Amino acid sequence: MSLSRSPSPHRGGGWSSPGLIPGSGRSSPRGFSPMTRGVKSVSWTAAKAKSDELHKYPSFATRSDGFFSRQKRKISAPIVQLYRQSPLSGGSKFVIILASNVEGGVMEWKGAREWAVERNSIRNKREYARKWGYKLEVANMLAKKRYSHEWRESWEKVDVIREIMRKNPQAEWFWWLDLNTWIMEYGTSLQSHIFDNIDSHVYRDINEYNPLNITHPPPQFYLDELARAPTGDGDASSLHLLLSQDCSGFSLGSFFLRRSVWTERLLDAWWDPVMYEQMHSQWPHKEQSALEYIYQSQPWTRSGIGFLPQRRINSFPLGACGDDNDPAFHYQEADRDFVVNMASCMLGRDCWSEIYTYRAISNDLNRSPWDGVSEQIRGVRAKIFGAPDEVD
Amino acid sequence: MQFALPPRKSPHELPGHHSTRLPLYRRKQLKTVAVIGISIFAFLYILSHIFSSSSDSLSASAGTAGVVIVTVLDRQSFSEGYISKIIANREDYAKRHGYTNFFASVSDYQETVGDAPKSWALVPAMRHALATYPKAKYFFHTSPHALIMNPTASLTSHILDRKRLESLMMKDASIVPPNGIIKTFPHLKEQNTDLVITQDSEGLRSTSFILKNGEFARFFLDLWFDPLFRTYNFVKAETHALDHILQWHPTVLARTALIPQRTLNAYSKDSSGASPNGTYRDGDLIISFPACDKAGTRDCQEFHAYYEQWLKKVKGS
Repeated sequence: MSLSRSPSPHRGGGWSSPGLIPGSGRSSPRGFSPMTRGVKSVSWTAAKAKSDELHKYPSFATRSDGFFSRQKRKISAPIVQLYRQSPLSGGSKFVIILASNVEGGVMEWKGAREWAVERNSIRNKREYARKWGYKLEVANMLAKKRYSHEWRESWEKVDVIREIMRKNPQAEWFWWLDLNTWIMEYGTSLQSHIFDNIDSHVYRDINEYNPLNITHPPPQFYLDELARAPTGDGDASSLHLLLSQDCSGFSLGSFFLRRSVWTERLLDAWWDPVMYEQMHSQWPHKEQSALEYIYQSQPWTRSGIGFLPQRRINSFPLGACGDDNDPAFHYQEADRDFVVNMASCMLGRDCWSEIYTYRAISNDLNRSPWDGVSEQIRGVRAKIFGAPDEVD
Repeated sequence: MQFALPPRKSPHELPGHHSTRLPLYRRKQLKTVAVIGISIFAFLYILSHIFSSSSDSLSASAGTAGVVIVTVLDRQSFSEGYISKIIANREDYAKRHGYTNFFASVSDYQETVGDAPKSWALVPAMRHALATYPKAKYFFHTSPHALIMNPTASLTSHILDRKRLESLMMKDASIVPPNGIIKTFPHLKEQNTDLVITQDSEGLRSTSFILKNGEFARFFLDLWFDPLFRTYNFVKAETHALDHILQWHPTVLARTALIPQRTLNAYSKDSSGASPNGTYRDGDLIISFPACDKAGTRDCQEFHAYYEQWLKKVKGS
């Protein structure tokens, strides 16, 4: 973790909001002589300018409500909808966001195996998205390497989601998938698997499975009934974030966000310099830990969050959450689990061989009778003309 | 992908040729069914409306005008006499305009606020007021070191009326004067605002502000009261946390109307730190004594003079 500024507050001195005095970005408390820490300070203005340059879409804007833009919206809205809404499946409501180039690129050499993971993982999502009419957005995290020089390391997820939401105004639900994931069942649509009947899949009371031992509902006497209700308002339409928990807490390798004001607020509150400065060393999983924190500290978030049983969207391979097959976390072939997430495979496991294994299982399971025939033909042909080289 | 199933057509998308070929008698039948259906539906709708509106009026206890005035009193350090003056001042104003008062005690939130300065109590107190009067439309926080000096001016006519607020809103203005980088949005509209607040010469002031009831209010208060802001050691505790939030969180800034100091939070002439044209003049809604915050109420001579002035006004009207 490269921090460009030292995060220790000065005892008794007190702080103002960091870095918003013109030309500053200094880390010393207000009224305290700028200490020569020898740390390169990031000017807020410079960082923002750089950020605007890189972003095609501003990180946030209110809409201009002028007469013409309003009329334009009114006129174009129905046309756009007619044009975009595929009459076949309603698939245009969904966008899959796949993070690519996470570890590779400039900072580390990307070897053949990393390329293979990336190529295959993208193909996997592309095929799935095409089948159901979903849009696939491959988010190249390489462009976000700038974050490693700022505070916001690893929070690029938030900015990427915002950007893609703005780019896809037709879509309602956005499915984030880490690169090291494999969609096992091409025949399962998101609608039938989750969204046609969200209520029956989601649990809103975290006490049902609570590995972090979070006190729920929040006990403070001054909160309103909604905030103190264990299951929020119980209405599926108030769910804006669907995620799963693994053995150690929130798991963000595969989760859904709905376009809404609530979501805008969450994305906005998710990263805060003052919180990050105090917690970065205690948040081992960065934005994941920050979300767990916000869920606990800010009651407004709870009624908008629904949890899916882990294996509905996020089955783990053996080695993640234990080496013994545990049907709470691990992929079950007999149940034809939907997605496998090779969570933390880069920490001492082999991402490519895991992807390769699950790809093979998925192919086997989804073999059609025609496959058998064509394979036989290929086999016969190979016998006659010699085997062609296998390519990944 | 030779074995992908062809995407299924949903039944709704089938071409509607059949209906046009229906025989005449069939169409008539359908018409009757439709008329009966619609009238039953309309009847049920009216019925449900009558019942729901009656239950509404039962629970809408937050005064007729839907405004709750929130004042947080520190009963341990304020004298009895001082507290009774503040209460008298608020009660008179509430009675005139059909508002409701919510007096909270700092000590109620002591445990929640923890080691942070007790001035933080105003945030959970606001949340508490929201929970207590869920049907109210506006929550008006007033400092315990301020007096309402213009009892006849209602919040609506003075600030919240559409045209009035539109004309008061300071657009493209620095959150931290005089030249902070982050400014209020230039094309903010009255109907998009949930928070109405003022600043003095140094920054935002949370002594007087108006918060509209709703999801934003809950989000905003929860964010503001986040434990990590309380432990951060901001020089001015919750006030600086507010500066911080508005500058770093555009979803809050986008719902905030900044209005001139004197409309909601005029400073007494002995107070320092008023914005240009922020010092109290006769006719202003509120006079604020920020120095009393620090010095304790016993030394707050200015307050008593203005209290007498207010008393005369009330008796005269």
